[in-house]
Amino acid sequence: MRLLDHDEPMDPEVAASLDAIDAVLAGEPVGAEYAELAEIALLLSAERPQARPAFAETMDERVARRFASVAPAAARKPGRRWRSAGIWEAAGAMAAGVAVIVGIAIVVGGHNGTSSESSSAAQYSSTSAASSAGSAAASAPAQRSASAPHRAQNSAAGAPAAIAPAATTASGSAATGSTALQPPTTGRKVVQSAQLQLAAPPNRIDDVAQQVYDVIGELNGIVNSSTVTQTGGSDGSANFQLSVPSASLGQAMSRLSSLNYASVLSRTDASQDVTDQYGAAQRALSDARALRTSLLGQLANATTTEQVDSLKAQIHDAEASISSDEATLARLNHQVGFSQLALDISARSAPPPAPHHSGGFGIGRAAHDAGRVLTVAAGVALIALAALTPVALVVALLWWVGSAVRRRRREQALDSA
Amino acid sequence: MDHPLVRSEGVTETLTAPPSAPGSWERFESLYRSSRDDVYAYVCTLLRDPAAAEDVTALAFERAYRRRRTFDRRRGEERAWLFGIARNAALDELRRRRRVATLVGEPSDVEPVPDDEGAEVALRRTAVQAALAGLPAREREIVALKFHAGLTNAELARVLGVSESNAGTLLYRTMEKLRTACNATA
Repeated sequence: MRLLDHDEPMDPEVAASLDAIDAVLAGEPVGAEYAELAEIALLLSAERPQARPAFAETMDERVARRFASVAPAAARKPGRRWRSAGIWEAAGAMAAGVAVIVGIAIVVGGHNGTSSESSSAAQYSSTSAASSAGSAAASAPAQRSASAPHRAQNSAAGAPAAIAPAATTASGSAATGSTALQPPTTGRKVVQSAQLQLAAPPNRIDDVAQQVYDVIGELNGIVNSSTVTQTGGSDGSANFQLSVPSASLGQAMSRLSSLNYASVLSRTDASQDVTDQYGAAQRALSDARALRTSLLGQLANATTTEQVDSLKAQIHDAEASISSDEATLARLNHQVGFSQLALDISARSAPPPAPHHSGGFGIGRAAHDAGRVLTVAAGVALIALAALTPVALVVALLWWVGSAVRRRRREQALDSA
Repeated sequence: MDHPLVRSEGVTETLTAPPSAPGSWERFESLYRSSRDDVYAYVCTLLRDPAAAEDVTALAFERAYRRRRTFDRRRGEERAWLFGIARNAALDELRRRRRVATLVGEPSDVEPVPDDEGAEVALRRTAVQAALAGLPAREREIVALKFHAGLTNAELARVLGVSESNAGTLLYRTMEKLRTACNATA
């Protein structure tokens, strides 16, 4: 017999019979027409199985213990209980853990990337190129985007990239603590230079200047020239022409931007690709040396005084050219190896920023940190929620399908019993 | 409990107990006291195996205890909820039997007739026992819920997952089938 799957209106005869059954079970009299039905109902009730007293006592004890001890019924199917409860709990915990980890990773990674990108976009504005570099590509003024200030430009023929001279400038508080730009120099000859303008209290000009000397000395740099003026009044200044190893330019800029008692007013990073100049000088040197070798050979075979004099003059010119080309190469090598850094310090009566390394901690900083923590926590929660939503939907779908299948199998078991 | 509790023993104390919060221990204990024998009778009739019925009854009450805080009165009375749990446990037992293909010894369908009963009554009782034993499990379940567990038609409908009128119709058809079988035996 199948269960009815729709609500049929009850037949009056059926309703009367059911009422008669309920009446006889309640001990009430029924009509004669329902006598047989009532007898069957009473006989069926008399067939009610009775539980053994021992079972009733055992059950009472277990209920009194609130099923605290290992129950036989539960212990009989430990694997099944584990499957029915533990799997879902473990799966849920695992999904939540993965979502949180992914959220943290995304927030932390995204924070770093966003910070880097925004710092470039916010702190640097493009300026025009400084000077020509001797080649068509390099001589044109170039506008560089802040996010890719020194991106190499490839020619259509696939020639090596030429890095046009470029400069980036940051000013005001945006430049404070910013990291130095590092143009791509792989395989290229790039001359880098920078300008830095600092402000310091008038009575701290000397202190800041001394810090400049210390930094340049530690980085094996050279102070080409310096002028430090402190009047004891409200003005004062210092100017430095510095050379630092190009490999240390970034570190020098970073450290000079974070000197005690000084704040960054502006900062300019510039670079110029001199690869073409360098190559041209090398080729000229090679040609001059080849010419000198050839002239020396001709001189050995000269037979007349006129030939000898002429060849000697040409050899002299060739050697002069060689010397000039060698000097050019040496100058370019020095320019590439040492970056020029112009540093100006001006007096400013405004209160200086707190020393960067003082580690001061106040309510404002605490509030800022707390806000940051809450922001990151909210981000993690949001990402975790986004990651958990599809997982939850899948779990809900699986649970629904599992329940339907289990219900169907139970009904099948009843039908086949 | 607003349904007639006339079958299980030890019920009177719970009828006078003050109402307690849903999911509370007192409420569960009251439900247990009023339904223990009814659940056993239902499961035993369905499984036709007293030993298995005891295990399933214990499992059903333990499940009900674990899930007592999930009970939602808006979805039915506590007794219907409890018998739903017991039904699932019993059907799981039937499924387990199918999987392990274990031969389960069934109790004798026809119990010996007491000597003090009249011959006519004994004959009718034997006929009802035989008719009940011949019913399919699904119809035997309806008889168990109605006459052995003492459920109302509304509770019976709730346990079976059908409407009350459909449950009544199913019960009526089962009774007609039993009456026909009894008359044929006679």
